Amino acid sequence: MGEPVGFADVRKLALVLLLATTASAHEIGTTQIHALFRRDHTYAVTIRSVRKPASEKAFVYFDGVRASALTGDIPAHAHTFTFRYEGTFAKYTLTLQNEGSDSVTTQWLDAETTSNPFVLSRDVIPPTRFEVIRQYVALGFTHILPEGFDHILFVLGLFLLATSMRALLSQITAFTVAHSISLALTMYGVVSLPSRVVEPAIALSIACVAIENVITSRLHPWRVVVVFVFGLLHGMGFAGVLRELGLPRRQFVPALVSFNVGVEVGQLVVIAVAMLLFAQWLRNRRFVVACSVAIALTGLFWTVQRIAI
Amino acid sequence: MKRFLVIACLLSCAPLGAHDFWIEPSTFRPATGAMVMTTLLVGQQFVGDPIARDSSQIERFVVRDARGERNVAGFEGHNPAGIVRMENGTAAVVGYRSKPAFLSMPPEKFEQYLRDEGLDTVLAARTRRGESKQPSREIYSRCAKTLLGVRGDFSRPLGFRLELTPESLDASRVVVRLDYESHPLANALIIAMHRDDPSLRIRVRSDAHGRAAFSLPKPGVWMIKSVYMIDAPPASGAEWESLWASLTFEN
Repeated sequence: MGEPVGFADVRKLALVLLLATTASAHEIGTTQIHALFRRDHTYAVTIRSVRKPASEKAFVYFDGVRASALTGDIPAHAHTFTFRYEGTFAKYTLTLQNEGSDSVTTQWLDAETTSNPFVLSRDVIPPTRFEVIRQYVALGFTHILPEGFDHILFVLGLFLLATSMRALLSQITAFTVAHSISLALTMYGVVSLPSRVVEPAIALSIACVAIENVITSRLHPWRVVVVFVFGLLHGMGFAGVLRELGLPRRQFVPALVSFNVGVEVGQLVVIAVAMLLFAQWLRNRRFVVACSVAIALTGLFWTVQRIAI
Repeated sequence: MKRFLVIACLLSCAPLGAHDFWIEPSTFRPATGAMVMTTLLVGQQFVGDPIARDSSQIERFVVRDARGERNVAGFEGHNPAGIVRMENGTAAVVGYRSKPAFLSMPPEKFEQYLRDEGLDTVLAARTRRGESKQPSREIYSRCAKTLLGVRGDFSRPLGFRLELTPESLDASRVVVRLDYESHPLANALIIAMHRDDPSLRIRVRSDAHGRAAFSLPKPGVWMIKSVYMIDAPPASGAEWESLWASLTFEN
């Protein structure tokens, strides 16, 4: 016969059984911490606590490197986020979310425990400078080809009165310089015109250039000045698009310049293709007039249409 | 009564991971019929984080007044963890006993915690067993009480495994008894601290009858606490089992 089972043994057995289910259980506090990673490449960690949150006891790490504040810019190339909070004595919840993602990750943490790495989504990680340049050159280019039909017609309008390569280059240069200036000034907020004014004016500029092509076959000096003024309008049009797309806050200048470069490349491609296809027709006045009339009518139609809208 | 060793000392920082646990009611002086919110707190230096009510962690959460004992009501997951209605007079004892949980600490931290809590026998045992450089594996549980009102009979224990029970209490002095499994626990370090002046700590070793007397130099909210550690049950996965007793009251 074995030894009789005493009260202490029963109690110990009960304790062991209890521990089988609660071995990892800690006291759960009421502190809640939320980390949000935004698509504008910033992050914010907020602490909700009954006591005054101790932000100096919160430690934020991107790829293991400590960040200086609970809010700020996500470092370039960062892929993971980890966190530790020593301002609590109990287990607390850390919720993490990439903006735009429905899923929220929750981790239960003790005061001295560093969280598991949270993988940042591609949307919130800031692009490198090279990626920004590549992206915005492509955006500028596609804004001309194939999406910028009005800008294409304007450039073709200039092309049709290119009695010489010098005449073409002087017009294109005036246009480029003008729209670069107004694009930059608009993006920096120095100048601002509402799109209900800019868009019909762009359409009207197309018609004006084309009508001049019908009226005269000579490149008058004022043509370059007019093209410059119209270029200012087109720059504001580009800015409208760029504002909608958004520019990365930390890489504003590279993005702006890259977009402009993309626009230039797009225009040069339009002219190059036009030269290849129609260069021998430029001395044919009927061809120039016919094309210019078509462009002028389109420009006028857009003008009316855009005013009506 | 034996001579008590009374030492008031500046607070030493206890390590994170070995935190005090206590009950703070919304008032220590409730009127009859009053609703008293009882917050469970874990922390240090009388600064704590509230603990939400978690049934899976509660072994016993009771209030005892002149007419007997009943469970403390509360909403799961909410803070404060308990709501007590003063149905029978203005005095009651609220007690919370948790289920055990597992805790592991690096050796330096664990030994510092043992020193802070006066657990010299455990320190010596670890040295003897050659475990001083090993991380701790400990199960711990809470035995917290708070006294509501002033004229109650608080001298009857609730029957917690480790329990601090006031034998006498007035504005300037309190005598408590520390019981382990309903027997007085001698030579245990018992610490009293004041909520508004946590730098003031009064450390007393219990006598052969488990008693410790404290002179209370100022009025206010006090916490008296003690930690007792024993060998953990076999197959628990731990080497040590600690029991944390606390008693809060207003003198």
